[in-house]
Amino acid sequence: MRRTFPLVIAFTMGLLMMIQYFIPHPISQKFYKIMVQQWLIIISIFFYVFAWRSFGLYHINKIKRRKEGWWASVVAFVGVFFMLLAGFGDRIPGGIGHFIYKYFNFDDLYNYMFAPLQATMFSLLAFFIASAAFRAFKARTMEATLLLVTATIVMLGRVPLGASMWKGLPKVVEWILMYPNMAAQRGIMIGVGLGMIATSMKIILGIERSYLGGE
Amino acid sequence: MLILLIIGLLEPPSYVRAYDRPNDGGGAIVIEWESVSDTLLKGYEIFRRKVGEEEFRKVAYVARGRNSFVNSIGIKDGVKYEYAVRSVGIDGSYSDLSIPAPPVVSYPQWFKKNKINTLLAIAIYFFLLVYFTQAAKGRELFIRRIAGLDHLEEAVGRATEMGKPILYVPGLSGLSDIATIASINILSPVAKKAAEYDTPIIVPNRDPIVTMVAQEVVKEAYTEAGRPDAFKRENVFFLSDSQFAYAAGVDGIMVRERPATNLFIGMFYAESLILAETGNMTGAIQIAGTDAVAQLPFFITACDYTIMGEELYAASAYLSRDPKLVGSIKAQDWGKAILMGLAFIGSILSLLNIDVVLKMFATI
Amino acid sequence: MHISTNPWVWIAAILTLAIYSFLYKDNPFYKFAEHLFMGLSIGYGAVVLWYNSIIPRLWNPLAHGTSPSRFYLLIPIAIGLLSFGIFSKKYSWLIKYPLAFSVGAYAGFSIPVTFEASIFEQISGTILTKQMMATPWLAISNLIMFVGVITTITYFYFSKHHKGLLGKSARTGIVFLMLAFGASFGYTVMARISLLIGRMQFLLHDWLGIIK
Repeated sequence: MRRTFPLVIAFTMGLLMMIQYFIPHPISQKFYKIMVQQWLIIISIFFYVFAWRSFGLYHINKIKRRKEGWWASVVAFVGVFFMLLAGFGDRIPGGIGHFIYKYFNFDDLYNYMFAPLQATMFSLLAFFIASAAFRAFKARTMEATLLLVTATIVMLGRVPLGASMWKGLPKVVEWILMYPNMAAQRGIMIGVGLGMIATSMKIILGIERSYLGGE
Repeated sequence: MLILLIIGLLEPPSYVRAYDRPNDGGGAIVIEWESVSDTLLKGYEIFRRKVGEEEFRKVAYVARGRNSFVNSIGIKDGVKYEYAVRSVGIDGSYSDLSIPAPPVVSYPQWFKKNKINTLLAIAIYFFLLVYFTQAAKGRELFIRRIAGLDHLEEAVGRATEMGKPILYVPGLSGLSDIATIASINILSPVAKKAAEYDTPIIVPNRDPIVTMVAQEVVKEAYTEAGRPDAFKRENVFFLSDSQFAYAAGVDGIMVRERPATNLFIGMFYAESLILAETGNMTGAIQIAGTDAVAQLPFFITACDYTIMGEELYAASAYLSRDPKLVGSIKAQDWGKAILMGLAFIGSILSLLNIDVVLKMFATI
Repeated sequence: MHISTNPWVWIAAILTLAIYSFLYKDNPFYKFAEHLFMGLSIGYGAVVLWYNSIIPRLWNPLAHGTSPSRFYLLIPIAIGLLSFGIFSKKYSWLIKYPLAFSVGAYAGFSIPVTFEASIFEQISGTILTKQMMATPWLAISNLIMFVGVITTITYFYFSKHHKGLLGKSARTGIVFLMLAFGASFGYTVMARISLLIGRMQFLLHDWLGIIK
């Protein structure tokens, strides 16, 4: 019951989801819709309870033990509180709801706190891509050089500066992207595809079961 | 007008035929006809009636140049329909209705005949997989060196020597991505080694389900290593479900906890370089593994070793040497050999105008 | 120069600078922004989960629905509830059921899809056809592509020593891999820089009003 039955479930679900792909009949389409758009999503919702608890324990632990910089964990809870207040608080009838709507507006919190933080973190990549390129520049292996040279050519070919240096550059870049680049991408995809399918089949057959955790 | 009078009116399309659209769930009928060659032709109007009804009703108009149409609005499965088509002139004139096509019925199918190649491919690959996992029992099969995986143990050892933790990032996707499962397969032996060496392993997560699985896997690894009491649940935790908040948090862990070894294994998106560059700056030894083609260049430049693409799926066999899993690698290689062979033969044949192999790989 | 008087813009600007301060080194400002960000993201995730998943997929059909099929929803709810087994030592094995259900379903679903997208389409794009050989230049380009695909695949050949012909092919494959990685690296640079430009525009235009 503990060990075998979950494997039977994985086998059955895997087989059904695979077979439905080949059946155009409405019954099969409905099965697919119910599974993908309802059941799998509903099941995943319940795991959030565990995840939030895990998040909470992680930070409470730091606060309790007064670990260095524990105040930051308090800030994390404040962040959660703000968002929950803004997201649900404006439903409170009367003045409180109105106050929250005015000063803890969900859209404001999103647009002026969450979104800028997100965009700024994302934009750090501009610096990191430069430092990564520099690192590739220092590495003196054939592979790293090849990577860097291609990167430079492609980068230049996509900005006006490159085209003004040499008119043919954009064409060269287009060729690199269309042929050698595409070739390697295809080669990788084929290998990855075979690996993914083999893993999926092993899951269905119960050979691969580490995702079920221990006993 | 004059020309019309001289050469007569527009011809209706000939040879109109209608049939149930194949390989579908019903509710659609395909109508085809021979096109009319007339410079004054603008397009065609398609008419439909239920068998027994007197009058045809217009259901669609298509411009000239097309000579087929899929009618999927208002079709009931199991009802007999008749179709007729007429030509429309650029001046707005009409031809007579064509001779109606024989009655047609739409119905849902139970098998997509056009997908028989996919089904066959699955069957062959499945056979290879089962054959080699069975045949591999009790035999030592060779696997070529995979640098990134070879250095995993060394990386764990280094963290131990330095008395610092190991950071394991299991990717940013959920278990619906097979790459995440592959990552969990690698987490298990890494956590076991860490437990044996008594080195803390930190596993921040983005997906709730993965968090739970990672906790169970690490706990199990500690139990297997005979040190269940050393397992710290708070070291395998849910950090954030937002991509960049997660990246910000992992960056924070890297600069504050100073792990000596960073492992980024699983599915990654744009944040890959944020993680890998920060880790690089802290001086940690870094091993990345992903099948996300777009992120591989960044991991290669910023990490010491990178497990690329399919290597990720060879990992559980490579690390465990479990004959069943190694047999699966053999099946994967056979798959590659067959595909390469077919690409060769297909090219030669297709250049000789024989497209049989090309058709085998059609996905419509 | 028109400095913004909107307090929200100020908050956004300070948080932006706090994140950038990380580039110098870790500091309390970054730590503050980082933890606030994580907290906000958890709260945001919860609100979104509530309004986009729980209300439309669970609450509405169960509380207000009329179709008898709504009671089928109790099955995934029951499966999902098993995940709470994790909170008890004795029943923690119950979590295997929702895990097996989801992972099995995803695995089965991915098999035919992966076969078609990652294998069939790639192989049929690689097989040389007459159109691909129409001009000498096209022919050379497509031959290079063909060689690239085959040699890259051989790099991932695991069960044989990479010696002799296989070794040569695999090494050629690495050349193609590095070319492709370089290409995708170079292709991304401008996109990343434009992200930075976006943030600079916010700081200099929306906040400080230095540039128009």
